[in-house]
Amino acid sequence: MSLEIEHLVMRFGGVVAVNDVSLSVQPGKIHGLIGPNGSGKTTIFNVISGYYKPTSGKVTFEGKVISGLPAHQITALGFARTFQNLRLFKTMTVLDNVLVAMGHHTQTRLWQALLDPISSAREDKWLTEKAMNLLELFNIAEYARERATSLPYGHQRRVEMARALATEPKIVLFDEPAAGLNESETEQLSETLLKIRDAGITILLVEHDMRLVMGICDIVSVLDYGKKIAEGSTQAIRTDPVVIEAYLGKEEEL
Amino acid sequence: MKNRSRMLKWILLAVGALVLLAYPLIAPNRYTVHIVNMAGIWILMSLGLNLAMGYCGQINLALGAFWGVGAYTAALLSTRFGVPIWINLPLGMALAGLTGALIALPMLKVRSHYLALVTIGLAETINIIMVNETWLTEGPLGISGIPMPNLFGIAFDGAERFFYIILFFVVLGFLVARQIVNHRIGRAFIAIRDDETAARAMGVNVAFYQVLANAIAGVYCGVAGVLYAHMSTYISPDIFEFKNALFVLTMTMVGGMGSLAGSIVGGLALPLTQEWLRAIKHWQLVGFGLAIIIVVLFMPGGVVGLTQKIEQAGGIRLPWMRKPAEDKPQMEEPNVA
Amino acid sequence: MTSLSIFLQTLVGGIGIGSLYALVALGYSMIYRSMGLVNFAHGSIYMIGTYFGIIWYRGMVMGLQVPYPIAFVIGILLNALLGLFLERLFRPLAHLDLMLMLLGTIGLGYVLDNLAVIIWGAEGFAVKSPLPNEPIVIGGVALLPQMLLLIVVSALLMIGLNVFLARSKMGKAMRAAAQDRETASAMGIPVNTTNALVFAIGAGLAAAAGILAAPIVYVNPAMSAAVGLKGFAAFILGGAGSIPGAIVGGLVFGVLEALSAGFVSSQYTKGIAFVVMILVLMIKPAGIVGEVTVDKV
Repeated sequence: MSLEIEHLVMRFGGVVAVNDVSLSVQPGKIHGLIGPNGSGKTTIFNVISGYYKPTSGKVTFEGKVISGLPAHQITALGFARTFQNLRLFKTMTVLDNVLVAMGHHTQTRLWQALLDPISSAREDKWLTEKAMNLLELFNIAEYARERATSLPYGHQRRVEMARALATEPKIVLFDEPAAGLNESETEQLSETLLKIRDAGITILLVEHDMRLVMGICDIVSVLDYGKKIAEGSTQAIRTDPVVIEAYLGKEEEL
Repeated sequence: MKNRSRMLKWILLAVGALVLLAYPLIAPNRYTVHIVNMAGIWILMSLGLNLAMGYCGQINLALGAFWGVGAYTAALLSTRFGVPIWINLPLGMALAGLTGALIALPMLKVRSHYLALVTIGLAETINIIMVNETWLTEGPLGISGIPMPNLFGIAFDGAERFFYIILFFVVLGFLVARQIVNHRIGRAFIAIRDDETAARAMGVNVAFYQVLANAIAGVYCGVAGVLYAHMSTYISPDIFEFKNALFVLTMTMVGGMGSLAGSIVGGLALPLTQEWLRAIKHWQLVGFGLAIIIVVLFMPGGVVGLTQKIEQAGGIRLPWMRKPAEDKPQMEEPNVA
Repeated sequence: MTSLSIFLQTLVGGIGIGSLYALVALGYSMIYRSMGLVNFAHGSIYMIGTYFGIIWYRGMVMGLQVPYPIAFVIGILLNALLGLFLERLFRPLAHLDLMLMLLGTIGLGYVLDNLAVIIWGAEGFAVKSPLPNEPIVIGGVALLPQMLLLIVVSALLMIGLNVFLARSKMGKAMRAAAQDRETASAMGIPVNTTNALVFAIGAGLAAAAGILAAPIVYVNPAMSAAVGLKGFAAFILGGAGSIPGAIVGGLVFGVLEALSAGFVSSQYTKGIAFVVMILVLMIKPAGIVGEVTVDKV
């Protein structure tokens, strides 16, 4: 069930965004990925989820090479992700946003639906129930029929998380899920992430909020200028002089 | 309150159905029935465009090519080989759908600005080929003598009888479109239109659905083409002209791009208006141009979008409207966990 | 004639018509670059600009017979005014939803084309060249004086434009506004004015092109579709938004067209031109010179 990143290099024109990074994400763990801005974290996410083809190196999941596969196929293999800048489907309701992610569940083909509308309607009902259950887990079921982008920011974040989970993933990539959340919302987020982990889903988390990272991660990898500079338990990372140097050197707070 | 609105809806539907079925009997003359038949053809094309462009964001202006493929398939097969309409239909649909899919393939790699140009260019190229390759299409003089259909022993000659064939296909086309829109395919389309990147992450095979959207547009226009050929009994290569695609685009925009009802509204309103204003042809086109500009600047949702806005503003519910997603006013997040 | 001279002849003809496309493509490029707007009505603007000049030259306005150079200038000025008006009209459309932008300009094209038919009729007319009709022979290539005029004046206009953009204060302001609207605006550059100027210059260039080409091609409202589409193809071929790209794209397109008309078949030139352009788009979407990206994600 593990995700292996081997000697990943990602070059854009003259810029090397990711410089020989190797990483191993253990199943069922929450793996944090931190580092100053520009260290290559989101680029790695984009490679893993299939938006970029690596310049060299490879990514394997459960023994199968996934680097180079298109994004939707990687999703089908059990991946899900959220985006740093919320990417909800702007004109759709909350419910529809989640239903899109459940597309692979639908068995009925169009021609079948045309010839037998009743079983298509039944499947619809089943899908909607499943989606509503998921929304309830995130306490946003009451907004199911509202346009997703009309909700307050914190709720929109939850929609995005529900949507990601709707693909029934084995591993979820969270890209700065705490961005823009206040303290109590971040607390709720921590709890939610722990619950997701406890359900057996692996989490890879890119985040700047150190309290969140130190609070829930089982293991943390630190990047700087596209290279991995440290890796270990939260305790080890917190006191690692190399890490502190990297952050202080950029005048960021730890 | 809800029951009354539902009852009203059913009553309107029933009355509408009766009027439609009786139309050829109550129409003033054959010519007006013919006009309505043509409107039906335009509605089918508009449904196709709406599905591809309104729902999936595919700017496909090669509709004339699809229409032409359907029409010429029917014309050639029936005049050269005596093939009847009920075989021409699936064949025309398949060929036109295939054309749509093929046109979509080069578009996948092209950036969105260029989509329009690519489809226009491809359509123009097909147009030129069709006019010049006389061995295939019998050239600019067109094909005449296409037989009107003879189904179940009834000769559907004459506009009044053909009306029922058109009605059948428009209703069928609308129901199929609705099924598409309300389920997986429709959701994938809208997801692609709203945010292609996120759609991919949600497991949507964007390339597949884009090709599918264009193929569907092709199929709808193909049906329209076959019906048109058998209805007019004469076709010529001017079917392939870009101005036809532009006309469908206008009516869909004015009616409401992104809403199936918009295709019906636009598909009826514009051809009928055009007929009414026939005498002042060029002013009519100026009018169309102005209509597009006005729609774009002030009411991008078309007529249907406008009724939705009126509805939200006035709090009234017009009986034919689906319950729209409400805009929740922004509210403060409570600080209690 | 030797086959080399036939080739050169065709080439020169291609450069001539290519100059026309280049001037039109420049209009597309400038507007796209500054406003992020793909102006599908530019072909119609070209056509109207041609009429704006030619009607004076042909004595169609109150019987006044205006000499060609003056008609040339009047046409450009009138079209520039039209450009200013259109910029004002389409200001809310720029940077909007792509589909709406596309459709709005298509609608505008419809309006302009049909107004032209209503005012001046659909048949069109041939225009006599103000220069003598005997071809000048340079190096074995026979060239109509009007064609030479077209090439020379186009070149002068293009050079003038480049100098203006590079050296003059307003030109630099326009380039700054094109690169980054917000920053330029924050630095006191009147973006609305620079945009208006872009439209005016684009329309003016198109008018110039049309008036110069009028004695060579037939003048009628259908020109807007023919030249408009080809100018657009040249704009893309060279790299959308790039000024040198528009010039290169226009010339290349013109030569391509002339060559295919001369050596393949005149029926299919339009189709071939399109196919080539679509292939370029698929292989190197940024065009020959390279695209200038306008929108920041």
